Amino acid sequence: MLTGSLLPGMFFGIVYSLGSWLNSGNMWVSLLAVIVYAVLVVVLITVFDYMFGWAERKIMAKAQSRHGPTKVGKYGILQNLADLIKLIAKSNYAPRNAKKFIFSFTIVLMLAISIFIILLLPFSQSLTVANLGFGLLVIFVALAFMPIIIFINGFASGNKFAAISAERSVVMLVSYEIPLLIIIASVAMLSGSYNLVEIIAAQAATHWYVLLMPIGFATFFIAMLAEFERPPFDIREADSELIAGWLTDVSAPYFSLALFIDYTRMFLGSLVITMLFLGGWSGPGLLPPIFWLLAKSVAIALVIIVIRATMVRMRLDRLLRIGWMALLPLALVNLILTFIIFVK
Amino acid sequence: MVTRINVGPIHPSTHGVLRLVVDVDGDTIQSVEPHVGFLHRGVEKLVENRMYMQSPTYMEKLDYIAPLAYDEAYVAAVEAAQGAEVKERAQYIRVILLELQRVASHLLWLGTLANDIGNFFTLFMWCFRDRDLVLRLLEDVSGSRMFYVNMRIGGLKSDIPAGFEEKTLEVVSYLEKRIPEYEKFLEKNPVFLERMKKVGVLKRDAAIELGVTGPVLRGSGIGWDTRKDKPYYVYDKLHFSPQIRDEGDCFARYKVRMLEIKESLRMVRYAVKLLPGGDAIGLPIKLIMPAAKNRISKVSRETPRGEALMYLVADPQRPYRLAIRAPAFINLFALSELCKGERFADMFAILGSLDVVMADVDR
Repeated sequence: MLTGSLLPGMFFGIVYSLGSWLNSGNMWVSLLAVIVYAVLVVVLITVFDYMFGWAERKIMAKAQSRHGPTKVGKYGILQNLADLIKLIAKSNYAPRNAKKFIFSFTIVLMLAISIFIILLLPFSQSLTVANLGFGLLVIFVALAFMPIIIFINGFASGNKFAAISAERSVVMLVSYEIPLLIIIASVAMLSGSYNLVEIIAAQAATHWYVLLMPIGFATFFIAMLAEFERPPFDIREADSELIAGWLTDVSAPYFSLALFIDYTRMFLGSLVITMLFLGGWSGPGLLPPIFWLLAKSVAIALVIIVIRATMVRMRLDRLLRIGWMALLPLALVNLILTFIIFVK
Repeated sequence: MVTRINVGPIHPSTHGVLRLVVDVDGDTIQSVEPHVGFLHRGVEKLVENRMYMQSPTYMEKLDYIAPLAYDEAYVAAVEAAQGAEVKERAQYIRVILLELQRVASHLLWLGTLANDIGNFFTLFMWCFRDRDLVLRLLEDVSGSRMFYVNMRIGGLKSDIPAGFEEKTLEVVSYLEKRIPEYEKFLEKNPVFLERMKKVGVLKRDAAIELGVTGPVLRGSGIGWDTRKDKPYYVYDKLHFSPQIRDEGDCFARYKVRMLEIKESLRMVRYAVKLLPGGDAIGLPIKLIMPAAKNRISKVSRETPRGEALMYLVADPQRPYRLAIRAPAFINLFALSELCKGERFADMFAILGSLDVVMADVDR
């Protein structure tokens, strides 16, 4: 089930990168290299998602003075695997009102897109499938599809809670997307490029951008929390109001995919934050660059998990207000300050 | 476009089997209609077919968050009908137990409220951990962790065990440290304040008109507390003041309950200090009651959810009729008034701030 739905992700990655490989050397060798790379990245994502899932349960348990999973495997590390098997073993059911194909296909599509974006990310100077000149923009264009897919899925499920959740996802999109793009523009302005490899090289040459534009970092972090539906912005799937939001009628096998999407997006978010603000793979150099990249991303992911344990959910209209009254002005201030101090 | 949404009876945050038919226009609520009765057991009728002291166990299931409060209210109604006096030591112990029960109930409410507004189980687990300390104290007295059935005519089933006072004071001082911590956790969080302040405002006049009682009423600026205004047992000796906030919003109701926890802890501390010696055991349960002295007895009690009234028409062997004014039932029907024009997400914050128990609503 799981690997079956990963295939579309790899497919997207391969199709996309074909273009850049067709005119460089032997096509077949490059194609093979891309496939191997894609498989490796998918394995990496799976491992990290799994560990995030476990870490989230353990950290939440610690924060709540519980033990969390302890029985299955050492420190309960196999608990999520057991849960996954249980979920996959359940029957797949779609409500009568649901548009069945769209309902299930959109979830697979979301997973494919989030994996596709991670495939496009460079993992070190040379470890990249396609060193895209406008890589940063491509990532955020692909990310902007997510709420729209959720919107489609919400209405396809024929459930009123899912429909409300779908409406919310579009309103949320309006509130955080613009500040996000403005911050990206200031990052590009500072580094002089939309290419992620060059952005990281520019940070290694000067300072990490978190030091150069702290306002931008804070704004970006908050907007990314909203982008990836992490608490306190889990407004779309607010479990105490909308039961599970757009996932209300999604049955177990697809629900396991949805969980997988959640963690993949969290991984993606922490990778992007690391690359744009924390110097990506630049580090003391004792260990390979990819280690530093992943270590920083994991640290960011842990911060996101701790935020989940301590924050109350924000209301939709409040998020809209914060997006327009706080995040947008801050992003603009950051852009102007960056221009005045560093660029001019 | 107005959409009609059916919330419940099976829903993560309706506190049991409550069904709400909600009309929303976008995200704004047009009307809320609570549908109750899914948990109706006919307790009032059941009581008519039982001997007097067979009924407390039903009474406790009315409000499983604070069982002792109803247990005591019913037994007090029977005592009033019989004209029985409660021993002085038993009065003190009853007050201690009732206030401990109030603390336990409010702690559970705090946890579920935090969960309703989206703090995923963190405060909930903390509150449950602390509530368990209180439950253990009550268990020490009665032998049961949840349903105590500890009241007897004129006294208690069992006196407090040796070392109970020290243990109680220990728990009280632990909780007195903990409660400010929870207040800090919530009130220093701007998101929490935004979710609670100016949400679900219940005006003073509307509160009187709707007949709400308890913390909901006191959150609207009316200082009615049965413990103060119609004092029973030794409450008038304990020098406490009802906690009042004027705003009438969710935050006011939250704050009133938080202050009540502190006030109750103070009262427990004081009552333990004043606890007189002597006998506290009431009449054995199997003793056949003498003929009723008063045919009709009315007893009102301040339960954690509000004012509960027990209206008992007594026959010699069995109650002829028992009517219960359930505070949660009346508080729940303030929901439609409070939710008008609020956001859909706020409905659950408001419902949480009303602190309803569906077993109490449906009886």
